[in-house]
Amino acid sequence: MSSYLMKRLGYTLFILLAASLLIFCLYALTPGDFITGNIKLSPERKAELRELYGLNKPLLERYVIWMNNAFHGNFGYSLDKQQPVLKLFNQYVWNSFLLAIVSTFLTWLIAVIIGVIAAYKQYSWFDTFVMVGIFAAMSIPSFFIGLFLIKILAVDFKWLPPGGMLTTGSNATGVAYLKEVIHHMTLPVIVMTLLGVGSLTRYFRSNMIDVIQQDYIRTARAKGLSERKVLFTHALRNALLPAITLVGFELPALFGGSLIIERIFNWPGIGQLYMQSFTVRDYPLLMGFTMFIAVLTVIGTLLSDILYHVADPRVKI
Amino acid sequence: MMKKSVALLSGVLMASLLFTACSNGGTDNSSSSAEKGTAQAQQSPALNSLFKAPDLTQLPATAQQRTDTIIMALTDPAGAFTPYFHQSGYDGNVSSLLYAPLVTTDDKGLPAPNLAESWDLSKDQRTYTFHLHKDLKFSDGSPLTADDVAFTWTILHDKSYDNDSLIPTLGIVGGAEYKAGKASTVSGIKVIDPQTISVTIAKPNATALLTLGSDVLSKAYYGKDYKFGELEYIKKLHQTPLGNGPYVLTKFIPGQEVRFTANENYFKGAPKTKNFIYKTSEGDTWQYVETGEIDFASFSATQENINKLKSLGFVDILPYTPSTYSFLQANLEHEALKDKKVRQAIAYGLDRQSIYVDANQGAGEIANIPAAPISWAYTTEGINPYAYSAEKANQLLDEAGWVAGADGIREKDGQKLTLHYLGSKSPQTDIFIAVATENFKAIGVDFQPEVFADFNSLASKVEGGDYDLASFSTPMLTDPSDGLVQFLDGEIKGYDNPEFVKLYNEALATNDIEQRKKIYGDIFRLLNDDLPVIFTNYKKVVYAYNGRIQDLTVSPFNGIASSVPQWTLK
Repeated sequence: MSSYLMKRLGYTLFILLAASLLIFCLYALTPGDFITGNIKLSPERKAELRELYGLNKPLLERYVIWMNNAFHGNFGYSLDKQQPVLKLFNQYVWNSFLLAIVSTFLTWLIAVIIGVIAAYKQYSWFDTFVMVGIFAAMSIPSFFIGLFLIKILAVDFKWLPPGGMLTTGSNATGVAYLKEVIHHMTLPVIVMTLLGVGSLTRYFRSNMIDVIQQDYIRTARAKGLSERKVLFTHALRNALLPAITLVGFELPALFGGSLIIERIFNWPGIGQLYMQSFTVRDYPLLMGFTMFIAVLTVIGTLLSDILYHVADPRVKI
Repeated sequence: MMKKSVALLSGVLMASLLFTACSNGGTDNSSSSAEKGTAQAQQSPALNSLFKAPDLTQLPATAQQRTDTIIMALTDPAGAFTPYFHQSGYDGNVSSLLYAPLVTTDDKGLPAPNLAESWDLSKDQRTYTFHLHKDLKFSDGSPLTADDVAFTWTILHDKSYDNDSLIPTLGIVGGAEYKAGKASTVSGIKVIDPQTISVTIAKPNATALLTLGSDVLSKAYYGKDYKFGELEYIKKLHQTPLGNGPYVLTKFIPGQEVRFTANENYFKGAPKTKNFIYKTSEGDTWQYVETGEIDFASFSATQENINKLKSLGFVDILPYTPSTYSFLQANLEHEALKDKKVRQAIAYGLDRQSIYVDANQGAGEIANIPAAPISWAYTTEGINPYAYSAEKANQLLDEAGWVAGADGIREKDGQKLTLHYLGSKSPQTDIFIAVATENFKAIGVDFQPEVFADFNSLASKVEGGDYDLASFSTPMLTDPSDGLVQFLDGEIKGYDNPEFVKLYNEALATNDIEQRKKIYGDIFRLLNDDLPVIFTNYKKVVYAYNGRIQDLTVSPFNGIASSVPQWTLK
C-alpha cells in the first residue's frame, strides 16, 4: 500500500507539472493580454506596461518565474483586482463551496432514494413517472430554469429573494445571518439539485437493477430476511460501490463554482471570479485557480482509489 | 478618474445587454409583465425628458422600508479603491464617492471649482496655480493641504507606477528626471503655502487643468511608507481608503456589496442621504428593480425597455446620452481603404439608420463626427450626414477605379474588394452583420464578418493588423480632444494628416473656449470628410430609479458622483 502511494504521488507530481505548463501556455497564447483591453492607453504606454509586468518576456521564462514563485507559496497579485490571489480565493471559494456541498448532498440523497425505489419497482408507473421527470429536468437549460424560478418565486410571489447571498445592507449576525443565507441559497440550491439529480438517479437505478438480480440477493430473501433489510443492507451497499469513483470527481466540483448559476443568482462565488479574470486576461488569478482545480482533481482520483480499496477489500491497489 | 467612473456606469448597462443576449430565458420571462405596458405605450414617442413615476403606491415594500439608504447596482467592484491605482473601472465608481477632485466639470464638460476654489494660468499657459479651499479635511479629520496634492502628483511619476493616469503624460517639468531617479522631487511642482500649489508643464495643454484637477491622496496616510521605486505597499491600503469625498467606506463584502456612510467632514457638508450601497450585480438587474432591491439602474433606451419600465409604475425614467461615440475602424494600411473615396463609399453604403436606430428601437443616434451631441464642441454645421445611398456609394467606388467583375464583386488590378469585419458578440453586432451583408452586396463589396466572444481577442487581432473593419466604442470623453487622440497617437495606424495635427495642437494650445470651439468645428469637418474611421452611432440610455428619490441629476461627465450628495428620499 505505501509503495503504491509513493508511486502514485510521483505520478501525481509529474501530471501536475505537465498540466501547469500546458495551462500556462494555453492562457498565455490566448489572443490578447491584460494590457490589450485597456483602450485608454497609448501604444507607448502599453509597451512600457508590458515591460513592467514582464509580459514581453519569452513564454518559457514567464512560466519558470511563475513556477518558481508558486513553489515559494507566492501566487502573486491579481492584476485586475490588485490583491493577493490566495486572499481572493479565500473570499470567494467558500461561498461556492456552500452552494455545492448542500446541493451535492441533496442530489445524492434524493438520487439514492428515488433510484432504489425506481429499480425495485422497475417498469411500474412510479418508475416511468420518475424517468420522464428526470429527463425533463436534465434537458432544461440551467439559465432558463433559473430565470423562470426567479420570475415565479421572487418577482411574482416574492417568497424568495431574487439573488445575492444577503439582504442588501443587512447587518444580521448569528442565527439571523444564518437564516438570511439559507433564505438566499434556496433558489440556487433547488436549481443545482434539479440539474444534478437526473443523471445520478439513472446511475443508481441501473446499478441497483444489476445488483437485485444477483444470486446473493435471492439467497438473502430465501433466508427469510425482511424486504427492507434485503434492499438497504444487502443490495444498496453493493450498488453504491461503483459510486465511490464519482465521489472523487465531485471534489473539484465542490470548489470549482458554477459559472451560470452564480451569475444568474448573483452569488459571490469563484466561478464568477474566474470568468471575469478570463475576460481581462488576469494571468496570475487564472493560473492560480486552474492549478487549484487541477490539484483537487488529482487528489480526488487518488482519494477514490483509496476509498474503493477500503470499501471493497477484493480490490487490490 | 471621472471619465472612468462614468464609462463604467454605462459598462453596467453593456454588461446587462450582453447578458440578455446569451439568456433567452430572460427575455421570455419578462415579456408577460411588459405586455401590460405595451398596450398603452405602444405609440408613445421616444422619451426625451424625465418621466415621473405615476403610481408610487406600487413601490415594493422592500424599497418602502428604506428611509436613509440608497442602493445602486454596480457590475463588479474589485476592492482596489485607491484612485490612480485601481485597474477595474468599477473601483473607479467606488472611489469617486470616496474622493473629491480638485476641479470638477459642469454639465457642458467645462472645468468648475471643487476642492480648488480657483486657479490661475500663467501668461505662457504653462504654469497652473491652484488655490485650495480653507479648512479642507480628510474623512478622519486630518487637514488636506498643498503637500498632499504635491505628493499625489509626485508618486504618479514613480518608475513603478503601473496604471493609466494621464498626469505623467502631461510632461510636468522635472517629471522625467524624477522617474529616472535623477531627482528627489519633481521640480515643476511647487508648494507655495498650505493652500496654494503651482505646477509647470512643458507645453500648453488645454486638457491639463482637468487632468491635474483630479483626486488627492493623503500624504500622511499613503505616503508614510513611500520609497522611490516601491509602490507595492499601496496595495495593502486599497481596502481601507482614506478620502475626502462625500462618503466614507464602512464595509466591503467581496462580490456582494460596498457600503458607504456620509462623510461628516466633507467640505460641502455631509450628504443628505446617510447611507449608500453599491450592490454587486453581474448580469441582469431587472429583477432587482422590480423587487425594489435596488433604487437605481441603467438600461438601453429601447422602446421595449422604456415600456416595461413605465409599466412598473414606481420608477422615474431619465433619458441620457453617454459622452462616447462608436465607429468602424478601417485598416488604413490596406490598399483599398487607403483611398478616402472607398471609406466614404462605405459610409454612404451602410444603412446606419436601420442598423443603429431602427433595429435598436430608438436606442441610438447616428454619429458623423468624433464628439457626442452633449459636448460643448458638438456641431452639425458643414457636416456631411452621409445619408444612406447605395447610388452615391457605387458612384464613389466607380471613381476610385473599382469595377464590378463577373460575379458582381468589384475588382481593381486583379484584386477583389473584400472587407473582413471584426465585431464582438452582441445583439448589435448581429444586427450589423445582417444588414451590412445586404448593404455591401448592393455596392459590390465582398463582406466577410467574424465575431469574437471576448474583447481582448478582438483587440489583439486588430493590433496584429489582420482586418479591414472593426467595431469599437470610445471610453467616456470629457474634453473634445479625448475623442481625437486616437488619430494622433498611433492607435489608428496609417492615419497621417498634417493639417489635422496642426489643428489638434492649436486647439490644445489655448484655453479660450470660444476659440477652441471654432477649431474643433474645423477638425470635425476635416475628419467628417476624411473619415479615418467610419463614424457610426451614439448610444442612448435611460436611468430608471425609485420615484422616491428627489433631486436626482446625473452629470454626463461626472456620472452620479457629484450629485449623489444632493439626493434625498421622500
